[in-house]
Amino acid sequence: MITKRSNLLAVSLLSLGLLAGCGAVPGGSPDSGEAGAAGTGQAGVGEDGRALGRHDGSSAYLDGRNPNDPSGRGANGEPEHRVFFDLNSSMIDARASDVLAQNARWLGKRNVTVEGHCDERGTREYNLALGQKRADAAKQYLISQGVDASRIKTVSYGKERPLVNGHNEAAWSQNRRADLVP
Amino acid sequence: MNHSAQRLPRTRSTLLLMSLFAWLLMTMGTAQAAVQIDISKGGVQAMPIAIPKFLDIHPDGSVNPSAAMGNRISDVVAADLERSGLFQILEKKGFLQDPASLWKDGPSFKEWRLTGAEAVVSGAVNDSGGTIHADFFLHDVFKGTAVGKGQRFSAPKQEWHLVAHRIADEIYSRLTGEAGYFTSRIVFVAERGDKKWLSIMDQDGLNRTDLTEGRSLVLTPRFSPTGEHLFFVSYVSGEPRIYRWELYTGKKFLEGDYPGLNSAPSWSPDGSRMAMTLNKDGNAEIYVKDLASGSLTRLTQNPGIDTSPSWSPDGRRIVFNSDRGGSPQIYTMSADGSNQTRITFEGKYNAAPSWSPRGDLIAFVKGGSGGFGISVINPQGNQERALTSSWMDESPAWAPNGRVIAFTRESQGKGSKLYTIDLTGQNERIVPMDADIRASDPSWSPLIH
Repeated sequence: MITKRSNLLAVSLLSLGLLAGCGAVPGGSPDSGEAGAAGTGQAGVGEDGRALGRHDGSSAYLDGRNPNDPSGRGANGEPEHRVFFDLNSSMIDARASDVLAQNARWLGKRNVTVEGHCDERGTREYNLALGQKRADAAKQYLISQGVDASRIKTVSYGKERPLVNGHNEAAWSQNRRADLVP
Repeated sequence: MNHSAQRLPRTRSTLLLMSLFAWLLMTMGTAQAAVQIDISKGGVQAMPIAIPKFLDIHPDGSVNPSAAMGNRISDVVAADLERSGLFQILEKKGFLQDPASLWKDGPSFKEWRLTGAEAVVSGAVNDSGGTIHADFFLHDVFKGTAVGKGQRFSAPKQEWHLVAHRIADEIYSRLTGEAGYFTSRIVFVAERGDKKWLSIMDQDGLNRTDLTEGRSLVLTPRFSPTGEHLFFVSYVSGEPRIYRWELYTGKKFLEGDYPGLNSAPSWSPDGSRMAMTLNKDGNAEIYVKDLASGSLTRLTQNPGIDTSPSWSPDGRRIVFNSDRGGSPQIYTMSADGSNQTRITFEGKYNAAPSWSPRGDLIAFVKGGSGGFGISVINPQGNQERALTSSWMDESPAWAPNGRVIAFTRESQGKGSKLYTIDLTGQNERIVPMDADIRASDPSWSPLIH
């Protein structure tokens, strides 16, 4: 989904303002997470593919990659096939856009399935739709980086396939994700 | 029916008969009023009721001391009524009249009054053939009269539990003035390890049968209005697709097969249409498919998420979930998509609405600082009321009489189980389930009468 930049910017600013008040606290209340609805869920990818959001700094990475390395590259030069999202948001942030750009170059003529996921809180059906929105946002970014739309399939698993089992923000922040499966 | 207490005294005098009839009508009316439970009130005082063991009898009416079905039937009847929260089941050891005497001679009301019972049930069961016949009578202890007529229910022997639930429905109905809900089934998603599969059971958690084997992810089963079909979401193809399952033929039909997300199936009350969520046009929107013609109508158009449609019982309106206003909230619209109106304004997370079969309330999931609970609100958006709260309650599903809601409760680290809550919010029960099985996404069948 492509959102007009002006709307997106306003929405993003609104999200940031709200997020600042209830940022990611490990083990925090449900208000601080997926279902706290602090964000609007409206944000997508800007028309030029430029990311307008920010990362809230709460995510931890399981795969040993240095989270401060903005290259989005794994140890062996193959990009990480995973991007993360803020609570209740499908916005592609700066880190995710780097990772997706790496993937777009790496994919070349490969086909890819983008799987959208959510953390465990919130209702099953809302999360299925939110997971789809995340997969679609990642797909749109890949297209903006030159990947042929016909090579990209999306599927949402909602909250059905958590990456990390846990009931705190540390786990939730890693489960709000899109996985690229080449 | 062979029950002495139910025989009208014979008389040759028409006048006497008529006056007796009039007197019976009068006392029947007052008797019902005396034992009636007014469940329209918020808090309800549970009615003390005596349900002695049903007598096992031979086809000729004589006692069959070697049979054990009577006890099984009366136990299920008592458990159903107790779980409703409207009845207090009295301890059998306090009873002064034995089941054989109760059945043959009718209630000794003087003795039943001493137990504190307001109503007493007498019953007898004959299951000597392949068929079970259960007869029962309901009595008003204070008035010393019958409440309604004696009634017989019969079924193949292996379906004895249906007979018990049917009797419980009849007692509930006579004492509350509303339809019961005990002769009904719940379909749900069962889970063990990494596997999820569809399973079906009686509303009391007994008699469970697995419908799928768990090879692929399944979600959100939904009973059709007649209880003969299910919609459910399956990932068997690798993507979420909506299937319709004809339960009595075992046939499955692919009903939601559009690019991307196919989710949140919901039956129209006449069973002819399916509302669902598709993102084929770029964003999660609600569509209605006519099942006979296959024609598809789009109902929502906005950049937010629209999902979880649920029809009003008259089929004219649909309640749904949308985050178009910045957070997930409950909206209603006409069944053609017009008149979209937001009805929840309290809180930042209101989702998964389900319209009551009575039409008077909408149940939904409310997220707050302490977690998620089940709430109800009327369709105009007034009189919101919380019924449950916990870390994660979701997927409210109405019992067919609109008095009880089944839902999923997820406990941290323990997985999910099914619970029920009644409209008073004071009678919360876990649905009995094998300890190693987790359960979610209940859908309640209509009454199987």
